[in-house]
Amino acid sequence: MIRLENVTKIYGTETVAVRDASFDIPKSQFVFLVGPSGSGKSTLLRLINRQEQPERGDVWVAGQNINELPASRVPHLRRSMGNVFQDYKLLLNKTVFENVAFALEVIGKPRHVIARQVPIVLDLVGLADKQDRFPNQLSGGEQQRVSIARAFVNRPLIMLADEPTGNLDPTTSEGIMGLLDEINQTGTTVIMATHDHRVVNAMRRRVIQLDRGVIVRDQERGVYE
Amino acid sequence: MFSRIAYAFRETWESFRRNLTLTAAAVLTSAVSLLLVGATFLIQRAFENLLVQWRGDVEMIVFVRSDASAEQVTLIDSVLRASPTIIDVEKLRYLNKTESYEEAKRIFAGDPVTLGLLTPETIPTQFKVVPLSDDPTLVRSLSDQYRTLPGVEAVALAEDEFEVISTLSNFIRVVTLITSLVLLLVAVGLIWNTIRTAMFARRREIEVMKLVGATNWFIRIPFMLEGLLQGLIGGVVSCGGLWVLNSAWTSGVTSFKPGTGISSLVVPDSYLTSVMFILLGIGAFVGAVGSAIAATRFLDV
Repeated sequence: MIRLENVTKIYGTETVAVRDASFDIPKSQFVFLVGPSGSGKSTLLRLINRQEQPERGDVWVAGQNINELPASRVPHLRRSMGNVFQDYKLLLNKTVFENVAFALEVIGKPRHVIARQVPIVLDLVGLADKQDRFPNQLSGGEQQRVSIARAFVNRPLIMLADEPTGNLDPTTSEGIMGLLDEINQTGTTVIMATHDHRVVNAMRRRVIQLDRGVIVRDQERGVYE
Repeated sequence: MFSRIAYAFRETWESFRRNLTLTAAAVLTSAVSLLLVGATFLIQRAFENLLVQWRGDVEMIVFVRSDASAEQVTLIDSVLRASPTIIDVEKLRYLNKTESYEEAKRIFAGDPVTLGLLTPETIPTQFKVVPLSDDPTLVRSLSDQYRTLPGVEAVALAEDEFEVISTLSNFIRVVTLITSLVLLLVAVGLIWNTIRTAMFARRREIEVMKLVGATNWFIRIPFMLEGLLQGLIGGVVSCGGLWVLNSAWTSGVTSFKPGTGISSLVVPDSYLTSVMFILLGIGAFVGAVGSAIAATRFLDV
């Protein structure tokens, strides 16, 4: 599903964010990217959804070399991916329902599709009864659920999560991880960047560890060391 | 498809409301500059009326009495052609009664009294003379000679009549054109800035849109519509202003003493209408350009 071949990303002229990274993630796998802040986890995610392009090497997604993708095709690439962030990135002037609907609206889905899909996915994340609330009226965990609903409403092949539990307490994190696991069970490939030992150790999934931009460990059913 | 169009208009309207002060500034600037552009058109047209009979380097007009016989006209023609070193014979032109009357209609556009006295029967016909030589004294001595020919009513020299106005009109044209171009650039800048601010205010939304795979055009179009609308509203305002200005000018001029020449500085309504359409077009164009630059430049969030 996702393959990196000797990818190097340099910011500016000096800062090497990722150095010669290679890995292959098959469909439906759940992968943790771990490592301290600044080790290149977020950059790897940004390379996969083409917010960044590498200086060297190739990034393949669903059989396509996305660095050769013309800019006009990038939106279509992104429609096959859901993104979840530490800070949720919700629109504060929109309700829960509208936030999720927005993701379908802006890719031109007709209204009846929106009306059908949004309640289903809100039900999945357990917020069916809060669809008319605004983000500020929700707890952090609930806000993250909204952002997961938004990322998943288009049924993406891939889910990219950048520190989704970074702002949440352990119990709430557990709930979020359960949700991501559930999404993974539907066949969605999940890549999650984190430095949260607890969730990594609890899940026992594939772990790719980074240190100053270099992959130092790639282990099936690994733990955070 | 319908939901996309509805989306674009809803977003445009929302953004419009949110940035009301900036929008007002952009609209007013484009209105003022467009008004100046329109005024340039009208002034130019008015002066053209005044100078219509001197168009094409004509320096001298020999007016022939309306009751002159055909032989007299032929005689005048042959006398004029007898000085090929001073007169450009190629460009010598004779305007018959109908042609002279058509021209008079423009000269006396704002002077119905004088125009009413003229009919295609009583109007003098005329020879338009383009001199070859630049020497004004030579042309003048010729004119004295022509005045004595039978059937000649009068000889008019451009030098005596409209040299000053002609120069003035050129000067005014250049000044107003430059000023309005500068103002139009300012309008583009202001619209650009309004759109940039609107985009900055909504950078989070734009970021989310890009991440969920909205196309650049989808994101851009509401902003471009907004800019286009600002320019267009500016155009509408300037049209209103121009209409008021022109009405005041026309009524002022028609109350002027007839026969002073000022009365030809009136612009027909049909011309005003076409200028208004031009202004609307320029307004929309300016708005679209300003916002397109902003939208393209700041879409990389």
